[in-house]
Amino acid sequence: MSPVDIRIEGGRPPLAPPPRPRASWHLRANAVVVGWLALTVVAALVGDVLPAPRWLLIHVFLLGAISTAILIWSEHFTVALLRVRTPPGRGSLARLGLLNAGAVAVLAGVSAGPWQVAAAGAALVAGAVLWHAGVLVTLVRQALPGRFGHVVGWYVAAPVALATGGVLGGLLAADVGHGAAHERMQAAHAVVNLFGWIGLTVLGTLFTLWPTVLRTRMADGTRRASRLGLRLAVPGLAVATGGLLAGWRWVALAGLVAYAAGALAALVPLADALRRRRPHTGAAWMLGAAIAWFEVALVANAVVVATRPAAGVAAALEPLLPLVLVGFVAQVLFGSLLHLLPAVLGGGPARFKENAALLERGWPVRLAALNVGVPLLVLPVPPPVMLLGWALVLGSAAAFVVLAVTALTRARAASWRSSPAVAGVAAGCLLTAAAVVVATTGGTGPATVTVTGSRTVEVTLSGMSIRPAVIEAPPGTVLTLRVTNADAQRHDLRLATGERTPALAPGQSATLKLAALGAAVDGWCTVAGHRAAGMTMRIVPTGTEISAHAAAHPSGPARLDLAAPMSPGWMPYDAALRPAPGGTEHHVEIRADDKVVQEVAPGVRQRVWTFNGTMPGPVLRGKVGDVFVVTFVNGGTMGHGIDFHAGATAPDGPMRTIQPGERLTYRFRAEFAGAWLYHCSTMPMTQHIANGMYGAVVIDPPGLPPVDREYLLVQGELYLGEPGSEAQVAKMRAGEPDGWMFNGAAAGYDHAPLRAEAGERVRLWAVAAGPSSGTSLHVVGAPFDTVYKEGAYALRSGDPGGAQTLDLAPAQGGFAELVFPEPGKYPVVDHTMRQAEAGAHGLFEVSGS
Amino acid sequence: MTWWSVVRFLHVLGAALWVGGQLSVSLVLLPLARRLLDEQRRGQVLSAVGRRFGLLTAAVFLPVQLATGVAIAWHKGVTWASLAEPGYGRILAAKLLLFCAVMAAAGAHGWLTGAGRPRLARVMAVTSLVGSLGVVLLATALPAT
Repeated sequence: MSPVDIRIEGGRPPLAPPPRPRASWHLRANAVVVGWLALTVVAALVGDVLPAPRWLLIHVFLLGAISTAILIWSEHFTVALLRVRTPPGRGSLARLGLLNAGAVAVLAGVSAGPWQVAAAGAALVAGAVLWHAGVLVTLVRQALPGRFGHVVGWYVAAPVALATGGVLGGLLAADVGHGAAHERMQAAHAVVNLFGWIGLTVLGTLFTLWPTVLRTRMADGTRRASRLGLRLAVPGLAVATGGLLAGWRWVALAGLVAYAAGALAALVPLADALRRRRPHTGAAWMLGAAIAWFEVALVANAVVVATRPAAGVAAALEPLLPLVLVGFVAQVLFGSLLHLLPAVLGGGPARFKENAALLERGWPVRLAALNVGVPLLVLPVPPPVMLLGWALVLGSAAAFVVLAVTALTRARAASWRSSPAVAGVAAGCLLTAAAVVVATTGGTGPATVTVTGSRTVEVTLSGMSIRPAVIEAPPGTVLTLRVTNADAQRHDLRLATGERTPALAPGQSATLKLAALGAAVDGWCTVAGHRAAGMTMRIVPTGTEISAHAAAHPSGPARLDLAAPMSPGWMPYDAALRPAPGGTEHHVEIRADDKVVQEVAPGVRQRVWTFNGTMPGPVLRGKVGDVFVVTFVNGGTMGHGIDFHAGATAPDGPMRTIQPGERLTYRFRAEFAGAWLYHCSTMPMTQHIANGMYGAVVIDPPGLPPVDREYLLVQGELYLGEPGSEAQVAKMRAGEPDGWMFNGAAAGYDHAPLRAEAGERVRLWAVAAGPSSGTSLHVVGAPFDTVYKEGAYALRSGDPGGAQTLDLAPAQGGFAELVFPEPGKYPVVDHTMRQAEAGAHGLFEVSGS
Repeated sequence: MTWWSVVRFLHVLGAALWVGGQLSVSLVLLPLARRLLDEQRRGQVLSAVGRRFGLLTAAVFLPVQLATGVAIAWHKGVTWASLAEPGYGRILAAKLLLFCAVMAAAGAHGWLTGAGRPRLARVMAVTSLVGSLGVVLLATALPAT
């Protein structure tokens, strides 16, 4: 079979004459591939300017160039091999358009957001390739049994793999499954797309392309080898993908081994052809080298899967990507196009030779550059050597793109006279572009900033947010950011001014030293989709318009409507305080969680960070000398810690921040009586406390007399908005809460009053959690006859005096006792009136005895 | 609403007439002339249109644009030095450079038409049109204060 034979020559001529000759359709379609390739080279060269450089480079190449090429060529080969009628050109064009629209949506959605665009794009891509698979199946049904039908099985399995991988990619972009699940999904996504969509297509194509390129006949056992290979490779890949997703390492490995066995079976006839005929063209050498890299990649992948836990596979595979992308995928593409383009370009035997000679120009050098470059990209070599590797690889790729574009335009030139309009538009656009460049490039850039000081800021990456979301510093400050990834998946931080951390594994840290602060600087995580999901931060010089604006106009709901009813089904936090349980050792498990949604004010539900799922956390009560053994579990998505004021211990151990999934045991003996605060000990504490991670420990003073009723109010500030969001944090920093809460709900006990009977003695315990304001607790109409504050009685019931309020600074606690004189409704308020009117307000409903 | 609004209005109006006129000629007049008129009549009509447009440009458009533009720049406190600064100055400088290039292309179009080089003249006309759009683009990019 000569290279020209592989062109479309259907057994029957098409019924209706196509509007354009078939070669023209292929020419146009392949121009799309070459365009994507050129974009890939551009993406590699501009690199760091892009919002998610590495991801974009990979996906412009694989999703753009390679997927388009596969869509075009697998249909083309199927038609040629089955000798069936070409499917309607309109459908092919629609599929191609759908795939490219989907690819563009994915690229835009992931790099700039919102994630819905990316997910819709992934769905489009999956739809396009499934449609493609459907068309191929229809073609097989139409065809008479032939020698090459077995190849189509590979072409049908490949789109199914991409549909799977595309769905996984969409889920990744939507951030479904955070942390370890995310990493496992990413590994499965990479494996099923690379070895499925690309690997299966390439293997299927090589059965016919390889002998053609070598100009030899197909080996005898080809059909059997193909059937066996497909039967091993497809189930193997399915098992491997499932195993990676589920985190079953050995299942995944078994699947990969089966896949590799299938690939080897498929390669046997190719080796056979090689024995008969040595490769002598650029295309043959490139394809051969690509197959060699494919095998290397298979082995390396199996080793990684065998030696790493499932959640670590994606991270370990990442350094290998250049090997697969450049060595295997790009080289297969170059080799195939080298062979196929002259045939597609057509124009008679003379033109064919001319084009072939043009495309093969200097192929030994290009081949050598590419294959010397590939190992340099993967091996641990010093940066300049790796740069050399990239130069070799990109130079080789760029040379191919240039030659291909030359050949393509030369083919077009026959039918296309240069028009003055096009020349004029080009000249005008160039002029405008030059003017825009002059307008936007800073020249000397922003005026140099004099250094006024320096500061180190801890930055935490976790749970799709960067904390702090806003860093304010005086202009001229040299900031050093210590960036820690406290999440269960990889993140990085990149600033608009160019500084960036490497990808940080969970728990890893890196330090960024910034230039003296001039204008506001944006920062974000470059991992695909994370910027869109909200992993952004901002460094703002204080006193600028921006910081003033942020402080003056915090976004979010303007005012609370405290008179509105609470939502149906709302349950108040039980304020009744139960007596201390018996025994002297109390075992408690406290679980940090930052996903709970709670009604914080009438009709306002928002995410809060909690201990044991409630704000405030559980109450611990005991007697002086009791021992508390607290098992603290971090069930959240970021680092948390716990600090019991009631215990005496060095903070380094039990109060340390632990990462999601970790636990620690915090043992303390309550040596002193009082109403104590406990709270999350992780920085920034304003956020951890204000978002709800606090609670009370009540240690009864010795000889505490029994009373009729005991209630506990833990007062805290309410900041509306998504925890950790820029606007919410700005309010915390300014100390401007949107409201105040007793036991986690502003005005909650207005809607669910506390009960008492006239003449009963009521003990009202209180703890001020803050973080920034205390309380001056007062019961309207009922003076206190007993006040106990911070470990000492300020007033006893026998004393002649009385008290109006129990005043507590942030983190202080105590109790007051009162006797309600008669039935009625007695408001309990923080007499700091603005705080009372913004929610630190409740009711005692006192009935007659 | 001050007299400065009137000056700005004249500036914008001049730009609209210049760009709009070119677009109308290129998108409406030229295709119709090609379709409906024979070679000779077409030449006559198009050269008359070109002469009239050139006259309007030189006699009305350029003086108005330059006078109002200089006035607005003076009102904004633009100085020669500030033209080099990033932001307003630099965008304005780029806009002025592009405007000069557009005027040069328009002039070259007139000259080449007269010199009997219709293809190159057409290139220059389209260059001038696209460049004018670029000027408008840069004008919209000027920070409004």
